[in-house]
Amino acid sequence: MQAYLPARQFGATFTALAAGRLLLALAWPLDSLLYDQQLSSPLTSYLSLQEGLYLFSNGVDPYDGGSFRHSPLLLSFFSTILPSSRIGAQLLWTLADSVSALCLVTIWRARQRVPYSSRDAMIASLYLLNPYLFMPSLALSTSTLENTLTLVSLALACRQRPSQALLVLSFLTQLSLSSILLLPPLLLLLITDHLSHLASPKSFNGSLKRTLPLLGEFSLYFVSLTFASTVSAGSWKWMLQTWGASLNLPDLSPNPGMWWYFFTEMFDHFRPFFLMVFSVHLLIYVAPICIKFQHDPLYAAFILLGTLATFKPYPTLSDPGLFLTMVTLFPEVYPYFRHPIVTALLHLHASLLLPLFNRLWLTQGTGNANFFYASTLVFACSNGAALVDCIWAGLRIAIGEDKEGYHVVQE
Amino acid sequence: MERLRRLIRRPTTDPNVARLQRRAALVRFIYNHIWIVRTLLFIGGYVWMLAIPSPELGRGTYIDENALQPAQVNTYWSWGEVHSADKYLAKLEELRDQNASSAARAEFIATEFMQLGIAAATQKYEFTLSDGSSAGANAYAISPSPRTAGNEAMVISASWLSRTGDGDGTLNLRGVATVLALADFFKQYSLWAKDIIYVISDGYMEGMQAWLSAYHETTQTNLRMESLAISSGTIWTAINIDYPGHSFSHLGIFHEGLNGRLPNQDLINSFEHISKYTGGVPVLLYDHGEPGDINALRSDFPWLPNWLQEAIHDQIHLKTYFYRAKNILRHVSCQARGRASGVHGLFHQFRIDAFTVFALPAQGPHGFHALGRIVESFFRTTNNLLERLHASFFFYIFASSTHFLKVGSFLPSAVLISVAMMFGGLKHWTDAAWHLDHLVAVADHKDGSSVGNTNQEKWIRRRRPVLNALGIMISTHALGSLLFLLATSSWWQMNNQQTFYLLFPVVLASPLIALTVRPTPPSVAPLATLLKALNLCFASTVISTTTVLNFSLAAVLAVLLGIPLSIASPSRSLPIKIGKYSCYVIAAFGWMVLTPAETSNAFWNWDILGVWFAPFVCLVYAPLMLQAGIVCLLPS
Repeated sequence: MQAYLPARQFGATFTALAAGRLLLALAWPLDSLLYDQQLSSPLTSYLSLQEGLYLFSNGVDPYDGGSFRHSPLLLSFFSTILPSSRIGAQLLWTLADSVSALCLVTIWRARQRVPYSSRDAMIASLYLLNPYLFMPSLALSTSTLENTLTLVSLALACRQRPSQALLVLSFLTQLSLSSILLLPPLLLLLITDHLSHLASPKSFNGSLKRTLPLLGEFSLYFVSLTFASTVSAGSWKWMLQTWGASLNLPDLSPNPGMWWYFFTEMFDHFRPFFLMVFSVHLLIYVAPICIKFQHDPLYAAFILLGTLATFKPYPTLSDPGLFLTMVTLFPEVYPYFRHPIVTALLHLHASLLLPLFNRLWLTQGTGNANFFYASTLVFACSNGAALVDCIWAGLRIAIGEDKEGYHVVQE
Repeated sequence: MERLRRLIRRPTTDPNVARLQRRAALVRFIYNHIWIVRTLLFIGGYVWMLAIPSPELGRGTYIDENALQPAQVNTYWSWGEVHSADKYLAKLEELRDQNASSAARAEFIATEFMQLGIAAATQKYEFTLSDGSSAGANAYAISPSPRTAGNEAMVISASWLSRTGDGDGTLNLRGVATVLALADFFKQYSLWAKDIIYVISDGYMEGMQAWLSAYHETTQTNLRMESLAISSGTIWTAINIDYPGHSFSHLGIFHEGLNGRLPNQDLINSFEHISKYTGGVPVLLYDHGEPGDINALRSDFPWLPNWLQEAIHDQIHLKTYFYRAKNILRHVSCQARGRASGVHGLFHQFRIDAFTVFALPAQGPHGFHALGRIVESFFRTTNNLLERLHASFFFYIFASSTHFLKVGSFLPSAVLISVAMMFGGLKHWTDAAWHLDHLVAVADHKDGSSVGNTNQEKWIRRRRPVLNALGIMISTHALGSLLFLLATSSWWQMNNQQTFYLLFPVVLASPLIALTVRPTPPSVAPLATLLKALNLCFASTVISTTTVLNFSLAAVLAVLLGIPLSIASPSRSLPIKIGKYSCYVIAAFGWMVLTPAETSNAFWNWDILGVWFAPFVCLVYAPLMLQAGIVCLLPS
């Protein structure tokens, strides 16, 4: 009986939090959240999804206007099996959050090789109570669904279900193209294991050839989903509107990321060059991080999620939220953080400044775009500080604790 | 010489060791001297605050927006128009003497507008308050622009009640008469590029709040109002005329809006310019007389000794300083509480730049003639606007009507104090991580982590259980929001006294549970240190983020929280603990008992106008103070 206590505790906490979250969403439906630029971007906004659905059901190609940038998969799901009413959507988003929290706990259990633990309840509540995740979910941003797919894919990979994990990842990539960066660490995760090797790194001794069939499988899923999208959308136009948007940045409405302000200020003839630089910049992290953390691909995936959250073209608050919540999966690195208080304080400043300066600029009218951009810079700094500290701690743990009178020096 | 050589000579040891030693020395130096930095920052911040009224910090006003071109037109308002204003005034006085109802007044004014050939209507409204309701009727008229499609508009308004004594019942009859006469006068010109909206609002603030809510189609749970029968485009600027006396000597400017929002400075500068050069009327800030009057000085700063007052009066610099200090204190008291200093403040929430012109009651020499010309010229100026006023001109403090401080010359004062608090918080955070152990004798060399200077002491790392401290912080904020909910609920208003005596002590005594917390073992950081560290860091963050939003509030917070939170410390004896705690509780919640009028006013402002001051005090300020009080209760 005693042994089941953590499991029961987890069940009770989880149910209470999920129910509370649903109750909150249904009791106080806040329309103003739907319009908030920090909670949903043009690529993830619920309002534009509704608009696309309306156009689609009336026989107009939603990809003609440039206002609808969701994947045709979402379009076809929402116009057929998924509910499109507000209450139905709140239910669906609560379900997505709950599934994400469960997947996070699954990953944790798999990594610790325990059926249940006393930390389960805390991990689930850190996902469900994280305001960075909670607010976009209340705003019905589809970035919440993307987070769910990410976590489901990682959880399936940890359970060693390669086909399912790759299928979910290919779904995720359809929704947001930049998530394809997660493919290398996921493949590594599938051919090695998901246990924590941070403290005792060993060089990768498997054969990379084993990834080839998995890569083929992924390509197969990806191509068929692309084909399915094209069939449901009726033409190839959707590609430019959805994937193209994250490469061409056609919509410059403000978001908590780093791209929009830069490109509002840019002269047109430099635009293609810097678009290329910004997009390639995302790519350069993949190989080094996968090589450095080859002994622990789950950690590599975690770090890559952090870089994506900081630097991706249309982020919402839920991207950094996922990264920050995933820190709970790696308690072994906590003692090696160098500046957790600085990161926490930066995040505190950023989370107060972002809404305030957005309001100062767009509602009150006393500030201007520079104010909000300054607050997104603070936000990027805080995400960067968290990212750098996680990389440091993940590598530093291998050396072990300080011995009396000795110091670890980086050369 | 020897030291110099040692500095220059390359270290013979491993460069890494040298680097570590250097770093350890630096860290030790910073740690040991951080109190100097903190003290300097505090002194710097407070001295800067005191220096804000000094003439050296400000600069003269200027017009930033080229399109405004103030005082560049001929005005045509003349004695004929003054006569028509006098006739309106006579009719309004008749209404006053008949004790006409709100509806009758509004009906009369709307009819007058229509007789001028301007589309006009009335709007009835009713606010439901916890202690009854307040109803009234507004009258308004819209004169369409002859030149454009009516996408933009300017407002000229007058409230039935003057701002004298915050709407104590003094009527603004001459203000209303001015608006009516101006409507008659303006309609003969074909040069208007924007619609002109004339609003005569009922009551003091309530009428305009109802009218603006209806115009912008916002809803408010405690307000029932008719929607507007006629409407126009986006309102860009508004001027509110307040003319309570018989004649006036100066025009006073009131500009603070709800929640500390200020109008664009260009608007006020243009008005000052026009008033001086077109109307020949001197402009003042608020209703403060001109500097240099010893009696004014005596009444404004009665706490200064007599000889000092005279000494100040003799010194031109000091005289200016104290005059400006008076203006700035007035500004801070208004802005910090988020209160509007007049009807104009309601416009700001809809992104309309507005201010109130207050005709300072006097025996003379000015009257309708001067006021009409000034407003005419001012409308010609705002009519010139091609785009919204510049974004960088919203952050300022007026020291006098012609001098102001730019954001860079007042903002750092509060930021310096917040940085001092942040350093304090970080120092306590570091303190919490280390414990000096005297028992273990170590004969080793000193490494980076050892700060002690004898071999008998050793610094040991200890755990910092943050969640407990965070839990305390969250519960104090929950306590604050509970108090706020109680205070705003109608049930509270009904049974004010009884519930107050019942609940208040319970709320205040509940943190005394902290007395039962046991001291932690040496391997765990004491809760008091952790709580103090997080409390200081959070307070510092709140202050520095508020500075841009509402500087006055941030400055008041910096003064109220800066030193008190930094000196909170646990003590050994119970009476001292309780004594310290009560001081903090009085600082946190004393306002509820000591200033009941101010408190109910703040809640009224939240209820009707949505001013954030009351919730901010309950949810942020009071809990922060309470946390410092709990620090004093906890074992060291």
